[in-house]
Amino acid sequence: MSLFNSLQVSASGMSAQRTRAEMIVENMANAETTRTPEGGPYKRKDVVFATDLQTSPFSSVFQNELAEGVRVAQVVQDNRAPEMRYLPGHPDADANGYVAFPRMNPAEEMTDLLGASRGYQGNVVAIAAVKDMINHSIDILR
Amino acid sequence: MLNGLTQNLQRYMDLLSARQKLVASNIANADTPGYQTQDIDFQFEYQNAMGDLPPATVNVPGLKTKPDGNNVDMDRESRLLSENALRFNLASTLIKGDFKAVRSAIEEGKS
Amino acid sequence: MAAPILPVHLTAPPVIQPSAPSLPSTGGEAFQSVFADAVQKVEDFRLNAAQSVDRFLSGAGEELHDVAIKSTQADLSFDLFLQVRNKVISAYQEVMRIQV
Repeated sequence: MSLFNSLQVSASGMSAQRTRAEMIVENMANAETTRTPEGGPYKRKDVVFATDLQTSPFSSVFQNELAEGVRVAQVVQDNRAPEMRYLPGHPDADANGYVAFPRMNPAEEMTDLLGASRGYQGNVVAIAAVKDMINHSIDILR
Repeated sequence: MLNGLTQNLQRYMDLLSARQKLVASNIANADTPGYQTQDIDFQFEYQNAMGDLPPATVNVPGLKTKPDGNNVDMDRESRLLSENALRFNLASTLIKGDFKAVRSAIEEGKS
Repeated sequence: MAAPILPVHLTAPPVIQPSAPSLPSTGGEAFQSVFADAVQKVEDFRLNAAQSVDRFLSGAGEELHDVAIKSTQADLSFDLFLQVRNKVISAYQEVMRIQV
């Protein structure tokens, strides 16, 4: 069942990269958010990947080849000090006229998003290649 | 027909699909911190075809390690992905051809 | 091909010659054992294929291409065997038709 397992592995890769992309998009959307329910400016989040043993409903307990996929193990908040900008007229300004903005580098976020997109794409290509192999296997019967 | 060549091709395909599974894992874990690229020693496993034992997983030497400990090289994995698929498909086509020849012989004999 | 292949017993008829004593059918016995051998081989292929399908369906790690190859080998060996058997029977029938 190696080939079918590897489909599952690639699917897990797609899922993980997608979560990563979604997190980045959330970060970017909140790049200027000064107000959050917890108080203070928005804190950007990062995902942490870890390997994940894949089991499939089709494989039995005796399956000795387990496939290593990936999952999002943790979502980590960026706890660095916020970026202070001098805007005395701002409703969220403190006593000295400084407003706390999320510490974020848009260029970094974009680069990360590109990475997630390439990672996602890599898994899509892997699925296509494996599907092709499976079809060739079936073809032997024809 | 039911001969050594088909046996060898079958073993070849077994190894290729085991290898492809590892390639898929490597690609899925291309951004996992600390993950080490995995492979099988293809030549060794093919020469020592002892029955249906699953091949042993080995680490790959000579890969550059990124700051987070991950050493997956997407270029290598992409190349392997294509190569494994091509070889696998070729082997299955050869086997299919072999079977087709036998079928023809059977059909011819029916007259 | 669900049922196992039942062996077919075929012995060559003893050649009857008018003046000579009847010959022992050693040729017939050798042929029968070769035939039984072939039947066994075909049955082995069939069993192999059945086990392969079983392992695949129950998720025990059988590869799809292995199932395809073993199934095709079982089918082809059976077809081949069938053709050979038919040829042998028709040859036998022809021999029987020879007027002595």
